[in-house]
Amino acid sequence: MWLKLLLMIELVRETYRYRELIWALALKELKIRYKRSILGFLWALLNPALLMLVLTLVFSTLMRFPIPHYAIFLLSVLLPWTFFSQSLSYAVESVVGNGDLIKKVRVAKLVFPMAAVVSNLINLGLSLIPLALLVLAMRHPFYWTWLFLPVPLLALTLFTLGMTFFFAAANVYYRDVAHILQVVLSAWFYVTPIIYPLNFIPEQYRWIFKLNPLIYVINGFRLSVYYGMLPKAPSIAASFVCGFISLFIGFAIFRKYQDDFVFYV
Amino acid sequence: MSSSSIPIRLENVTQRFRVIQERPDTLRELFSKFFRHESSYHDFDAVKNVSFDVPKGQMLGLIGRNGSGKSTLLKIVAGVYRPTAGNVQVKGSLAPLIELGAGFHHELTGRENILLNGLLMGYSRREMQEREQPIIDFAEIGDFIDSPVKQYSSGMYMRLAFSVATEIDPDILLIDEILAVGDAPFQQKCFERLQNFRKGGKTILFVTHSMAQVSEQCDRAILIDKGSIMADGRPDEVIEVYRSSMVPEAVGAH
Repeated sequence: MWLKLLLMIELVRETYRYRELIWALALKELKIRYKRSILGFLWALLNPALLMLVLTLVFSTLMRFPIPHYAIFLLSVLLPWTFFSQSLSYAVESVVGNGDLIKKVRVAKLVFPMAAVVSNLINLGLSLIPLALLVLAMRHPFYWTWLFLPVPLLALTLFTLGMTFFFAAANVYYRDVAHILQVVLSAWFYVTPIIYPLNFIPEQYRWIFKLNPLIYVINGFRLSVYYGMLPKAPSIAASFVCGFISLFIGFAIFRKYQDDFVFYV
Repeated sequence: MSSSSIPIRLENVTQRFRVIQERPDTLRELFSKFFRHESSYHDFDAVKNVSFDVPKGQMLGLIGRNGSGKSTLLKIVAGVYRPTAGNVQVKGSLAPLIELGAGFHHELTGRENILLNGLLMGYSRREMQEREQPIIDFAEIGDFIDSPVKQYSSGMYMRLAFSVATEIDPDILLIDEILAVGDAPFQQKCFERLQNFRKGGKTILFVTHSMAQVSEQCDRAILIDKGSIMADGRPDEVIEVYRSSMVPEAVGAH
């Protein structure tokens, strides 16, 4: 317990100490992602907006689910999922990708996975704007529970950070990890109730799906945006427990090996 | 001088590298290696039991052949490597000028890289904003400051890197050969700045293959060979040891 607390304090302190560097690296990532495109940063808004347009057209005309305003139902958790999977995809290469730098300058290694998460967090924040517009356009009620979103967002960020620490460190030693991650992410996407609601799953199998640590935080997003309800306290607690366990394990592993990264990048 | 004011102190430092002939880069290779009980590496000491102090106000030249361990030593001082054995004490702020454009990102402009480079070295955004103009002035690269650094020549790279590293006014400056790519007038300007640094009580560690630079600029030199110190003392004497050590091998090679 004490060890856990000490680790978390160290993480917070390091994050604060390198906040300007993490922010600069995150902005650099976004800048490079949208470099040489005429619309530049606008793509961060246009991307989800166009995706929404496609989804809305497909699900309101071609495939009709028995779920009203399915696009909003889907996007309310697809956007946080995208944040999660994109953060991991970026972060898994973040230490190896900065190998040249690590070999020449003494730098806190944790800034690289963190910057990947922060840049995707900015993207997620921007993508909420077109989602809000879609809610208005489809005349779906704009619930006050949107104000609750920072809570599941925080839990998801903790969980994501922990996972990125783990995968970024593992990929330094075995480059297969980046490939394995892509398979894991696509399987994970389908076992998480993102495109379907949990009650589509037959009752007797539902407990298996509830082992998925993402389910609680996903639930928080969908309830707030689509149903206009707040998740129950145990569900919120579970999402934070998952977040902290992930962060603790991920950071403990990353921290243990970070001084040796320089020999393997 | 009391030991507490020695900015750089190395005691019995050894840096061991695992030289992997066939690195198990993938899990498949790892498994096959594991089951065949093969070890495909050997250990190699790039730096062996090295001890030295560098006092304030000294410009120390590190010389030696390629692969002798000079750059590894510099990186140990820079904190890039944690040595396998021994003690390293580095007191004060440190700026590494190790290889061209370390810490520069190709897609970012010179101006953006000044900030990023400074942040990487542990300076704050505000400190870097204050120093931005002096850095640009010293580098003399004109309008290129707002172009991506991938369009820079190696000389321009070096100008910017040197300006950043010296303008942030570190207590210790580590320089690895990068001065070689500057043109003569700029090199002159760099050495003037380094001499001012030295007079201001800063410590400079300087790796080069130019014996002229060592004998003109440094007040002490260390010769490294196969990871160990072969000679340590006045530049001219150490250079003499280096030159004479090269002769037998040069003869043997022909």
